Amino acid sequence: MERAMISVEGLARRFGDHGQPAVFEDVWFGVEKGEFVCLIGHSGCGKTTILNVLAGLDRPSGGTVIVDNREIDGPSLDRAVIFQSHALLPWLSVLGNIAFAVSSRWPRWPRAKVREHALRFIELVGLKGAADKRPAELSGGMKQRVGIARALSIEPKMLLMDEPFSALDALTRGMLQDEVLRICAETQQTVFMITHDVDEAILLADRIVLMTNGPGACIAEFVVNTMPRAERQRNGLHRHPQYYAIRNHLVEFLVNRSRAFDREIAEHGYDSRRPRTVRPGLAAINPAAEVVPLRHAN
Amino acid sequence: MTMFTDPFDAKTLLSRRCACGGNHTPEQHLEATRVAASTEESWWTRVVDAAVLRAVFPHDAQRRLFLRTVGASTAMAAISTVFPLAIAREAFAQGGAPEKRDLKVGFIPITCATPIIMAHPMGFYSKHGLNVEVVKTAGWAVIRDKALNKEYDAAHMLAPMPIAISIGAGSNPIPFAMPAIENINGQAITLASKHKDKRSPKDWKGFRFAVPFDYSMHNYLLRYYVAEHGLDPDKDIQIRSVPPPEMVANLRADNIDGFLGPDPFNQRAVFDGVGFIHLLTKELWDGHPCCAFAVSKEFIAQNPNTYRALLKAIIEATAFASKADNRKEIAKAIAPQNYLNQPEIVLEQILTGTYADGLGAVKRDPKRIDFDPFPWPQFAIWILTQMKRWGQIKGDVDYAKIAADVYLATDTVQLMKEAGFTPPDPTRKTIVIMGKPFDASKPEAYLQSFAIRRS
Amino acid sequence: MATLKESLALKSALLSVLLLAVFLGLWQLAAQPAASGGTIVDPEYAKLVGQAAATGSKTPMPTPADIGVALWKHLSDPFYVRGTNDKGIGIQLAWSIGRVLAGYLLAAAVAIPLGFLIGMSPLVYRALDPFIQVLKPVSPLAWMPLALYTIKDSQISSIFVIFICSIWPMLINTAFGVASVRREWLNVARTLEVGPFRKAFRVILPAAAPTIMTGMRISIGIAWLVIVAAEMLVGGTGIGYFVWNEWNNLSIANIVSAILLIGLVGLVLDQMLARIARLVTYPE
Ligand SMILES: Nc1ncnc2c1ncn2[C@@H]1O[C@H](COP(=O)(O)OP(=O)(O)O)[C@@H](O)[C@H]1O
Ligand SMILES: [Mg+2]
Repeated sequence: MERAMISVEGLARRFGDHGQPAVFEDVWFGVEKGEFVCLIGHSGCGKTTILNVLAGLDRPSGGTVIVDNREIDGPSLDRAVIFQSHALLPWLSVLGNIAFAVSSRWPRWPRAKVREHALRFIELVGLKGAADKRPAELSGGMKQRVGIARALSIEPKMLLMDEPFSALDALTRGMLQDEVLRICAETQQTVFMITHDVDEAILLADRIVLMTNGPGACIAEFVVNTMPRAERQRNGLHRHPQYYAIRNHLVEFLVNRSRAFDREIAEHGYDSRRPRTVRPGLAAINPAAEVVPLRHAN
Repeated sequence: MTMFTDPFDAKTLLSRRCACGGNHTPEQHLEATRVAASTEESWWTRVVDAAVLRAVFPHDAQRRLFLRTVGASTAMAAISTVFPLAIAREAFAQGGAPEKRDLKVGFIPITCATPIIMAHPMGFYSKHGLNVEVVKTAGWAVIRDKALNKEYDAAHMLAPMPIAISIGAGSNPIPFAMPAIENINGQAITLASKHKDKRSPKDWKGFRFAVPFDYSMHNYLLRYYVAEHGLDPDKDIQIRSVPPPEMVANLRADNIDGFLGPDPFNQRAVFDGVGFIHLLTKELWDGHPCCAFAVSKEFIAQNPNTYRALLKAIIEATAFASKADNRKEIAKAIAPQNYLNQPEIVLEQILTGTYADGLGAVKRDPKRIDFDPFPWPQFAIWILTQMKRWGQIKGDVDYAKIAADVYLATDTVQLMKEAGFTPPDPTRKTIVIMGKPFDASKPEAYLQSFAIRRS
Repeated sequence: MATLKESLALKSALLSVLLLAVFLGLWQLAAQPAASGGTIVDPEYAKLVGQAAATGSKTPMPTPADIGVALWKHLSDPFYVRGTNDKGIGIQLAWSIGRVLAGYLLAAAVAIPLGFLIGMSPLVYRALDPFIQVLKPVSPLAWMPLALYTIKDSQISSIFVIFICSIWPMLINTAFGVASVRREWLNVARTLEVGPFRKAFRVILPAAAPTIMTGMRISIGIAWLVIVAAEMLVGGTGIGYFVWNEWNNLSIANIVSAILLIGLVGLVLDQMLARIARLVTYPE
């Protein structure tokens, strides 16, 4: 079987001694090259932990992550991380923060080249005038733009984003989402992003991974975003015919199914290696195309 | 009685006018010659030449006339025909050249250190070819440590300290020698002005007293004095060690009722209107030792010539200081900041013995402080009896051996002879303290004769 | 806004001057020698004792004017040398500052790298903590006899005492600063595959710099406090020796002027470090 670019195989993580239940276990999924995947789940189910393992910042208690056919054993410049808290170095200017990343990527580059490269990415995220500002002088949205510019500037093979916009106000969030959409379209980036915002996932993701509640969380199913990328516009999104079907499916999962998934397992069976893939958007335009699993009574 | 009032005293070397006839001291002359002389040998040559010239023409006027008429070089040539100058120069250089010329000598800024201090401004060290730096030091423990560290080549100490160091009381035993006593007498009991009417120690129950150091004559004398009046110094009064300058401040602040301390602080208390002089320690024991000039035995072994030169300088300075006529000059020399850093009038009162007593009277006692270098072994034995009496040392004490080891009377005898003084006979010394004689040949019996004691 | 700020600064300065004037005025009045009951004393006696003692009272505290005179005397000729034990106040201050800097820089040279190691390793942190906790509160003057006894050189001993007293705040603050560098900044360095040296100098050091500088500022204050005490004990040279020498002479005016200068130098040292601290501080 051909492996995906990122292949998560049987991942488990438990904190503390062995008596403790795992935060998640037996997690299998993959991310194809050029694909934009969102992971959705309730707070505390272990999303950040999964991302940290992918980034190489944390080690799993079981299972492996294979990237480009190689098991990862630590952080890599190939996998850039955009942190929830933007994690800018406050003693460096915007330019300094990005130049730090650039010169880490290409240590032999001369100063001028590093600077020029960094400025290019500052411009890309629309912060041209703020290059010499310190992070403390920036608004939350601007800080996250710097975080994005820093991640992109090292030209990674993939981006890992941990709820990058969750701390922003709605307006700023929207603008940044557009920005990310545009940049990903331009650069054909492979992206793995965590969110708990349903609309954000529908807007950005090609595929949405649903995660059940912990402890012992697992992947419930994959939701394919059947809306083509070109048709995903933030302003007109809710008018798209597939929109509500997908949205309802996701909300239904988060509200009800995520915390009682073991009952579904008992009724329908579950293959942790191959969780089901569903296309609720297609069902909206062609009800025969896809069967949505029945809702369980509470 | 100090030995410098002996009839033999007339032989003293010191004439304060220089042999060359110029208006300066012989030391200044030597200093000038020394600078002019290009090498060490030529310096010694000049010293010897000058000495011979002085021997041939004992009268200044005669010598000046001779030099003026024939010129200096002709004069030396003429003398060398009748006196073997070359041999004299050699002999002097061999016997004298100090191994180490640049020395550091520590002192505590009190009048007891007078000979050590004044030997610097008045040229006694340079006269013996030594370049001595006299370094003011903050306290007895520090001076002991710096002497033990060899930061100081020699030091001013309290007379009991070399004994304590040598027998290892309060630290590891390190052989120390005390070839010269600095001063005798010169301490006093000062009481706060408010105790004007409590002149009998019987009224002193509960008083708080300060002494400069545990191992000090001050401590032993105060204890002796109150014990003779029936007070137990460990129970009826409190005695604590306080650095001398703080004694006046503490008296002023009413933290203590009095102190038995060194001058200038007794007189300083009077000067500042803080206290009065209850009695001079001379009234307890006339001729008691106080401070000492101490060197380590190691230094003596390594630098015998330096040691001899240094000791000679000290003995001569002590002799000079013992003369009443010189006291005002000394007060002036040691008053500046570099030395005692005290008002000259205070020092003058101490050294001349004409002093305000703090109760409105002017008293006169020219022997209030005196200077006598002789390290009587009897002093050491008395100190040991008191150390034992108050529990500072325990068990059997070999009084005579320790005394002979630490108080180097034999060196002093020899050097005093060389310097032209007549040393006393060490076996003939009588000590009487508050009317009670001390027989140094029976220290244990003496110790047992006290009613108040810790051992 | 600016004028409001300016007027506040002006007012506070005026108030400071006023407070100082009131304080000095009260002091001047309080220190006037009391007109005593006119005890008649023998003129010969009066000549031998101080002015106050002659009339049966104690020598009073010096007035601010006396101190001004003493201060002026010291400042107008700060660099004279009149023998081993008598040197100008400028020379004494220079000695003290030299010793402080020697001991302090040595302490920094040891404390900062060591603190770095301690802060990086929770194991070392825990292993060394009891020693640090026991040694830290030891009074500087308790070290002095030990130093003199073992080092056998008073000059090096006083530098050692500065060293040993100023090392703790720097060590503790460096270790704390390094240990508490935000996890996310370290994660940034890790995801950028930054090498250990680059990480230490480009991430941990700047991140911990404000904490380290705080430690250094505390340390210089301690070092300056300690040197005065150490020099009072050991003597020889330095402003502490100067104070002791004047204490010996019971010259309060000279002591007070030395205290003023000690305070001033301490302030300058502190401000210098505060300025450096401001350079490395970052707002978050
Ligand atoms: N370092 C850690 N030590 C112990 N427990 C942890 C640690 N990190 C995360 N957890 C626990 O793991 C669970 C998942 O955390 P996280 O991955 O941050 O959740 P999410 O990102 O989905 O909100 C939480 O219950 C959290 O308490
Ligand atoms: Mg999270």
